[in-house]
Amino acid sequence: MNRVLLMFLFISPLAWASDVAETHDHSHEGHLHETMVDGKNLDVNPERFDKFMEGLTEVNVAMVSVRGMVCDFCARGIEKTFLKDKNVLKIDVDLDSGKVMIAYSKSKEINLDEIKKKILSNGQNVSDIQVLKV
Amino acid sequence: MGIHKLITILCALIVALHVDARPISYSGGSTLMYKSNDMQDSLYAHYSPTYKYSIGIEKVDGKLFDEDQTHFRFVYLLNRKNTKLSQRNLYFQSGISLNNNDSSFYGVHGDWETRRLFSGFGYKVMQNNITEDYSDQYLQLGVAPYLGDYGDLHTWIMIKTKKNSLTKSRSTYPVLKFFKGNALVELGYNDKTEWDLHLVYRF
Repeated sequence: MNRVLLMFLFISPLAWASDVAETHDHSHEGHLHETMVDGKNLDVNPERFDKFMEGLTEVNVAMVSVRGMVCDFCARGIEKTFLKDKNVLKIDVDLDSGKVMIAYSKSKEINLDEIKKKILSNGQNVSDIQVLKV
Repeated sequence: MGIHKLITILCALIVALHVDARPISYSGGSTLMYKSNDMQDSLYAHYSPTYKYSIGIEKVDGKLFDEDQTHFRFVYLLNRKNTKLSQRNLYFQSGISLNNNDSSFYGVHGDWETRRLFSGFGYKVMQNNITEDYSDQYLQLGVAPYLGDYGDLHTWIMIKTKKNSLTKSRSTYPVLKFFKGNALVELGYNDKTEWDLHLVYRF
């Protein structure tokens, strides 16, 4: 029992320290990075991106960096919320990088505030959004 | 009613109210939980109008003395800290019996997790018209032996210790948690209470 308590006491400060350090990071929240499809400026796993784009043409893709997306079970709501939008053709959740890729039909003008609100409705926060026009 | 029977019933109630796996869903989401052990079966359904709170009903069927309880439950997210690699939560929880026996509870519980590590705690005060107020508390630590991708089967190996101020009992036991998609299964084994089963499905 004492060992369990010691482990908890040891881990808890690390958790708080991690949170404090994170608050010093520069945030790109609200910035829009228009990027051509040359792959040079994509902040995403290229293989994952290529797989995601299979079968997709004439789409706008939002690449969303999400804070707090550490659990598959807890990220389920993100997929469900976005797929309610008939303009969303495909979605990919990458827990390792904390990124969500959302493919919208070309006719849909991507609204950054709308994306942030949907992520927040699942209890997570957006730290950055990149938009690709394919 | 003998004191042992009374304590046993109270323990069943404590366990019934102790449902702690993600008490709030995403906005508009619903969750169904089933829990079974050697003392009771419980079915708990909750709905989250927003990600900040949930309301739900829990039906408890005691196995030993055939006692039934229905509770209205309310959980509120007091604080959440999201970072790139972690999430930390602090919840207020409360419940009131719909069986006119003046039983209720309130308390806090929290967790911090990364993809690899989990820690959680809970503290709950129970009130009723049978005995004095008492508390129920727990600590839980876990580690994920591997990091699965989204949609994979995820596994957690955990250890949980809990203590009750009325029975002055403390137990520590291992817990295995598995989840895939919208379904979660949690199995715990305690040599005092034998198997605990906890199923969760999120709609």
